[in-house]
Amino acid sequence: MLQKQVLENFQKIVGPENVDDSEVMTNAYSYNWCMEFVNSSEGKEPIPFSSIPKAVILPSTVEEVQQIVRLCNQYKIQFKAQSTGLGPWNQPSSENCVILDLRRMNKIVKIDHRSLYAVVEPYVSGAQLQAETMKFGLTVHMPGAGPQVSPLASATSMNGPGFTSPHTGHSARNVLGVEWVLPDGEILKLGSVGMKNDSDWYIGDGPGPSLRGIMRGWAGAKSGIGVFTKVAFKLFPYPCSTKFKLSGNSPDYEFEIPDYMKLYVMDCKSYSHLEKVFLAIEEEEISFICSHLSGYGLGAIFSNSIGSLMDKIPIAGMLVPLVVLIAARTKREFEYKQKVMSKILIDFNLENVIGSKYTPNSLFYAEALRSNLGLHGFIATGGFQSSKGQCDTVKVCVKTTKESIPLKKKYIKKGVIGNDFGEGVWITSYESGHYFHIESPTMFDQTDEKSVKGMAENMEENYQFDLLKHLGAPFFVEGDKMHDLFGPEMMNYHIWLRKIKKAFDPNGIADSGFYISAK
Amino acid sequence: MGRIKPSEELRDLVYKCTECGNCAIACKFLGNLEPLEIIMRLREKLVKAGFGPMPKQEEYIQSVKDFNNPYKEPHENRTDWLPKDIKIDSNAKVLYYIGCTSSYRRKEMAIAAARIMNEARIPFNILYDEEFCCGSPILRTGELDTFKQVLNRNLDVIESKEIETIVFSCAGCYDTFKVDYPLYRNYNFEVLHTVEFFDKLLENGKIKLTEKIPIKVTYHDPCHLGRNAERYEEWDGEEVHIMPLITMNIPPKPKRTGKRGIYDPPRNILKKIPGLKLVEMERIREYAYCCGAGGGVKSAFPEMALDTAKLRIEEAEDTGAEVIVSACPFCSTNLQDGINSRGSNLKYYDISELLLMAMGLEPEKLKHILSEVD
Repeated sequence: MLQKQVLENFQKIVGPENVDDSEVMTNAYSYNWCMEFVNSSEGKEPIPFSSIPKAVILPSTVEEVQQIVRLCNQYKIQFKAQSTGLGPWNQPSSENCVILDLRRMNKIVKIDHRSLYAVVEPYVSGAQLQAETMKFGLTVHMPGAGPQVSPLASATSMNGPGFTSPHTGHSARNVLGVEWVLPDGEILKLGSVGMKNDSDWYIGDGPGPSLRGIMRGWAGAKSGIGVFTKVAFKLFPYPCSTKFKLSGNSPDYEFEIPDYMKLYVMDCKSYSHLEKVFLAIEEEEISFICSHLSGYGLGAIFSNSIGSLMDKIPIAGMLVPLVVLIAARTKREFEYKQKVMSKILIDFNLENVIGSKYTPNSLFYAEALRSNLGLHGFIATGGFQSSKGQCDTVKVCVKTTKESIPLKKKYIKKGVIGNDFGEGVWITSYESGHYFHIESPTMFDQTDEKSVKGMAENMEENYQFDLLKHLGAPFFVEGDKMHDLFGPEMMNYHIWLRKIKKAFDPNGIADSGFYISAK
Repeated sequence: MGRIKPSEELRDLVYKCTECGNCAIACKFLGNLEPLEIIMRLREKLVKAGFGPMPKQEEYIQSVKDFNNPYKEPHENRTDWLPKDIKIDSNAKVLYYIGCTSSYRRKEMAIAAARIMNEARIPFNILYDEEFCCGSPILRTGELDTFKQVLNRNLDVIESKEIETIVFSCAGCYDTFKVDYPLYRNYNFEVLHTVEFFDKLLENGKIKLTEKIPIKVTYHDPCHLGRNAERYEEWDGEEVHIMPLITMNIPPKPKRTGKRGIYDPPRNILKKIPGLKLVEMERIREYAYCCGAGGGVKSAFPEMALDTAKLRIEEAEDTGAEVIVSACPFCSTNLQDGINSRGSNLKYYDISELLLMAMGLEPEKLKHILSEVD
């Protein structure tokens, strides 16, 4: 709870109805997905609760955010900002912290369909923005977490691969202008929106040196370097007709598949073959989705329950599957893409099982367009999280996959993570194969203490493994412990990160539990 | 309870839920979470711990005990809505269960439903002074013991009358009889909402629509008639561990996904009304936005209920409709409050009223009937 005077001062900024420091509300805000194994990793009780925030504050404007941050500095109280709020990164890491819940900042500020960018506030979801951009024949990059999460959070503060990454890239690469409340309460505008005259949101760099790297680096600061209140990011051509016709009732929907979409699921049979096929397809710049999944993962993206997963044995038995979705806006474009795919199938001696051995429910195509496939990771054990998370060449991603199988099998054998035969990874290309991403979705049971502890151990061993084998930086290099582990192996970047933290947040007011402290 | 103890603060949060069930539907597209049931059990726990229901809800529960309705209205006035020219058949196998809100507050719904059945020459009976509150407003607050008493009394009365079908114009009563009663006591009669009943009568030609109603209408799915009106199915299967951490229900355990809600009958009716154009809101069917009145929220947190209604009215306005139609007296009251508070140009009708107009009863006459019961 806050002291009375402090509470009243926060209330003056946002109104009494938008500050809550009650026991019940602050406890509710201390819950989040995956907190249990974060706690376990830190040697705490494996419960799904973080430190309890002192209060929850709901600002509605950048000015209110600014005033709250200044008050936090005055009273030496840390803040943690969250938007759609999925995951432990949204949680306070100390008892001396307030949560800034940005859900009232929920406006789509601008869609510039000619210059291909949108400006949004924190609580706009990917699905909401996509629904609006579709009216202009455009789409937005949505991270693998799904269409329900905040694209602002992904662009400014998180990692950001997605199923449509071959076409829509990576959150770090899509971010343009930014409105940023620094940890001392000053507002910084990045890129063209910061210009004195004719300011607009179309570019993220300059005038002067680019600060985008400082703002988010590889995986974002998770509110550890301030609060992002508006962001512009790139939009992309919607890959096909924007007709989105769904009928039926949950969960038995029928989707009218737009013209000019075709799914390919092929068994590359070996990882070396996968590597070549990946590059061959992506060099042609034709895919909307181009992902390798394990046999289990393949079955899961077509299934709504563990029961329906059992029906997918014919495809789940594939050795090294590759999923490619092509989509086009004209017949000619579609025919061209199909011809290219036909040639690749012949050149690499591949068979497309879709339409012959397996025909997915039409809803798959809707979920693909809406980037909703990641949620299927929950169907088997009720919980999952990914180890790995590297962004590298296809060679490194495939190497990581192969070499990590025995490690994953070790934990499967212990019975603490779900059995995907150790092969459960997701590899996607970014920007038509310019680089690739790998993560290892790992199923566990969040309600089973043994499984939670096992998952935490599995994550820890993966970090060590990735370092030992030089497999690059995983997703969750966050917090002092992890940066201090990886920094020395990676050109001592952690020293620079600390300098940034110190320069931007001299009072240490932005909660850095998932970033880095100035120390 | 674990981390936090029962308190008034906890109570105030738990009772702000309208129990609309939208969370439950969203959580069952891929998963099998039952957040609505968690809220229900939480309310029951709060009642047992002496913290629930909300004071206003306690008042209406007491009213049900004292007057058989939550409005503190004299029980003997329960049939005041009944115009003299309505024909009631005491031997009919169809029972029209009016419900407290249609009996005392939204009489136009009861009158319209009764007139439609008369026009269609469907013999029906009513319970007169043997009709009591269905118990829905009590159940939703977690006051299970009182609810069970009400349920048993109602079923005792109905089962003594050789009824084959009960027709409800109140979505709340319908949901309670259809979904909740069988969880505690089985019965052997059919349960229908008027939209289902009238849709069938239209289908088999017993209702003829002769009049054009050239208006643009949007339909609001009541939660009690839509996603929540799905019965629990019995499951006699087994949870089988097929491998570590992975279990499978054999045979598959039925999930209440909202797909068996009553969505098409009201739309069928509206589409059959000559001249009427149905335009849909963004959030419909199993994903319909709640009117804001459910779960005892209208009485305990009237401002929140009104704010919610205003949002729904705004959504209805966006369709370009002139009229918002629904099939629930709670939605009727709250949405009309929303219309008035927003200063909206929308008009509200119960679907039975529109149907009655399309059957040839001119709106002027309907107004006349309304004034007759005021």
